[in-house]
Amino acid sequence: MLELRPIFDAIGEFLNSILPEFWVTIVSAFGTGAIILGVASVFVLFFVWWERKVSAHMQQRYGPMRTGWHGWLQTIADGVKLLQKEDLIPRDADKLVYLFAPVVCFVAAFLAYVTIPFGEGLIVQDLNIGILYIIAITTFTVVSLLMAGWASHNKWSLLGGMRSAAQIISYEVPLSLSLIGVIMIAETLSMVSIVVQQEGWFWNWYVFRQPLGFIVYYIAATAEANRTPFDIPEAEQELVAGYNVEYSGMKWAMFFFAEYINMLTISAIAVTLFFGGWHAPAPFLDFIPSWIWFVGKCLLSVFVLMWFRWTYPRVRVDQLMAFAWKFMLPLAFVNIILTGFGIYLF
Amino acid sequence: MSVKQLRTEEMLINMGPQHPSTHGVCKLVIKMDGEEVKYIQPHVGFLHRSIEKIAENRNYPQFVPYTDRIDYCASMNANHAYVVAAEKLGDVEIPERAEYLRVIMAELNRIASHLVWLATFTIDLGAVTPFLYAFREREDILDLFEMTCGQRLTYNYMTIGGVGWDIPKEFEPKLRQFLKIFPSRIDDYEDLLTNNPIFLHRTKGVGVLPKETAYEYSVSGPSLRGSGVKWDIRKAEPYSIYDKFDFDIPIGTEGDAWDRYKVRLQELRESAKIVEQAIDGLPGGDFKKKVPLTWKPPEGEVFCRIEAPRGEMAYHIISDGTPKPYRMKIRTASFCNLQVLPIIGVNHMIADLVAIFGSLDIILPEVDR
Amino acid sequence: MELGVFYILAAVIVVSGLLVVTLKNIFHSALMLILCLFGVAGIYILLHADFLAAVQVLLYVGGVTILMIFAIMVTHQLTGKKIKHYNEQPVPAGLIILSLLILLIVSITRTAFEVADKAEPMPTVAVIGRALMTDYVLPFEVVSVVLLVALIGAIVIARRD
Repeated sequence: MLELRPIFDAIGEFLNSILPEFWVTIVSAFGTGAIILGVASVFVLFFVWWERKVSAHMQQRYGPMRTGWHGWLQTIADGVKLLQKEDLIPRDADKLVYLFAPVVCFVAAFLAYVTIPFGEGLIVQDLNIGILYIIAITTFTVVSLLMAGWASHNKWSLLGGMRSAAQIISYEVPLSLSLIGVIMIAETLSMVSIVVQQEGWFWNWYVFRQPLGFIVYYIAATAEANRTPFDIPEAEQELVAGYNVEYSGMKWAMFFFAEYINMLTISAIAVTLFFGGWHAPAPFLDFIPSWIWFVGKCLLSVFVLMWFRWTYPRVRVDQLMAFAWKFMLPLAFVNIILTGFGIYLF
Repeated sequence: MSVKQLRTEEMLINMGPQHPSTHGVCKLVIKMDGEEVKYIQPHVGFLHRSIEKIAENRNYPQFVPYTDRIDYCASMNANHAYVVAAEKLGDVEIPERAEYLRVIMAELNRIASHLVWLATFTIDLGAVTPFLYAFREREDILDLFEMTCGQRLTYNYMTIGGVGWDIPKEFEPKLRQFLKIFPSRIDDYEDLLTNNPIFLHRTKGVGVLPKETAYEYSVSGPSLRGSGVKWDIRKAEPYSIYDKFDFDIPIGTEGDAWDRYKVRLQELRESAKIVEQAIDGLPGGDFKKKVPLTWKPPEGEVFCRIEAPRGEMAYHIISDGTPKPYRMKIRTASFCNLQVLPIIGVNHMIADLVAIFGSLDIILPEVDR
Repeated sequence: MELGVFYILAAVIVVSGLLVVTLKNIFHSALMLILCLFGVAGIYILLHADFLAAVQVLLYVGGVTILMIFAIMVTHQLTGKKIKHYNEQPVPAGLIILSLLILLIVSITRTAFEVADKAEPMPTVAVIGRALMTDYVLPFEVVSVVLLVALIGAIVIARRD
């Protein structure tokens, strides 16, 4: 039906028929890269507009209305404006590091998409270490934030960079541990295998076997993506804008892009590991293509993240740390122990 | 190198004058040990317009528009303070309807001002949505003001001898409608904030202002009442016709940001109560007594204070019998309240400093005049 | 193609490794260290040790070097300062390094590297996990205890009393 896999298979066959193997590898690698970049960019454009609309409607206003139907062109207009902006580099900045920080941030955000299954068979590379790879590669985000914070030569951005390092390292621990429960049940790290195991009715989804793990994951992931209530690295009211205070134009836009990409990443991981990935909640709904299910679930999760942001105040930095180490971490351990007992008993 | 030889250094940071949460143009020079604030020095004066000196060159009735600019979030109250002082100086009797209208406007403006405070305070804590909710209600009040005097921010409404304009016909139904929905709207804010654990953690025990410190620095208004002092000029030294109304003075217990928040939210309800009583008892008749532009009060001096939304606002006017004051001193609450910030803000996280600054409800034009 | 990738990675590792020790700015050195460790992770992937590669990135890039950068950033005297690379004892240092180099060259040329004939087990994670929990359970536990000791030691030093 509307599955996308056959299309890609056909393209692959076509390439194989006209090119030698080496070039097929190169072309398909760059091709998939371009497709992922394009798809994710479209998502980001949509998310920025959507977040503005969601927040506006939560706050009894309309949000963007002038650019196109209900302002749907607003993000593109903003992008054009950002492209035209003068690109300022502070005099005392460490230029090379300053230039590379947004690039690293951007690349790190995109690298996670190598092993996310967007639908049945729609995955760039189903790695054996799937989920571990994503956790590992997203740590580059924190490197970029530190680079940005340090290179800007601004005390506010330095504080922001330090905060983000402390926060992301702290939340990485409960985040990784919260996923171990699922891995224990699934007995694999491969994203595709995990999804395949959740086939059938929605009660096969791991969220019903790992509710605690899901809660810990979702909170920790919100913190990892620097979303409110855990957005202390950029805390506008305290640190002005944190690590990106000196950035302007497209460099700033890259950080912004990466933030929204990360939002999609954490949603995609949540959907893959806990909500059955591309599977429909009931077998008779299978006539709807798998990628629609996946994207739909992701959008729902992204909406919840936006909902958080526009509801809660921000926590304080020490409360954030205390929460990670004194509450989330023990909870994650409890989850692992409970899962162990569960596997042993059943 | 052993651990003992290592030394730490404090980081000096200029917070402001361009900083999103200094409520205008205040500059705080702070020294930080990691995230902890160890020293605060507020630098004021960015908004100084020498209003007190201007007063010496204006006729008494001409000065009213300048009072608007002292506290642009509560212009009605600023007007009120000045006209009450001037009338006391010149012994002017004003019509009763004018008194009622003044109270209605002053209390409505108190509500509007507290709403602005609530909005900015929650934004200081990182919650954006209550900001727009509070501004929604403020909008209704501004509509009422606009209907009456044509202005939405600087009203120039009260004059020596009464008020500038009578209320139009549509005013009363609109006001009654507002008073009907307003309590439920306050419940909305409470739903969003009061029972929110993050909000509780961010405000409880933060920026505790002990009673004694508050006395020493002559803190006033809701910030003082948050520390548990039952002191409100509307009750303690009733001016205008406040002795005719029935209302409570909410007080806090600990003196932390949470208590200041609770006091202000309660004051919203109390002010609405006063407005309701005033509109019910609004008498007919004249709304102003003609006072000429070259009005000459007798020689002498007067000190008169009122309860503005941020605390005591007092005018000390010395008259030499000419149409212009010889000297005018304006006491504003924010200036005194700002002085406790270095005392109660130290040894807190920088995020708390922002919250404390917000909870004191400081408005910079009032600090600098 | 694998060989080409290997040479690229090796070049990255060697160059960034050299830069780590020669750059004057300690923050830049730390960033180069990240690049170097990332290159090593790439080598692991070439060797089909994907689990090791992920752990390398997760722990060394995500943990160790971030903490190093963090420490550099809080020590305000170090950032932006040019660091002196040399001390007054170049002769003994040079001798030691020379002997180490000779030792390495000799050991590399003389060792007969064994090549495993069977394919590496897939997935690697399960095999590593089983090995850690059965054959190597004692070393594994000893390492855990060492880490615990380090943890407690850090807490004792950091405690304010």
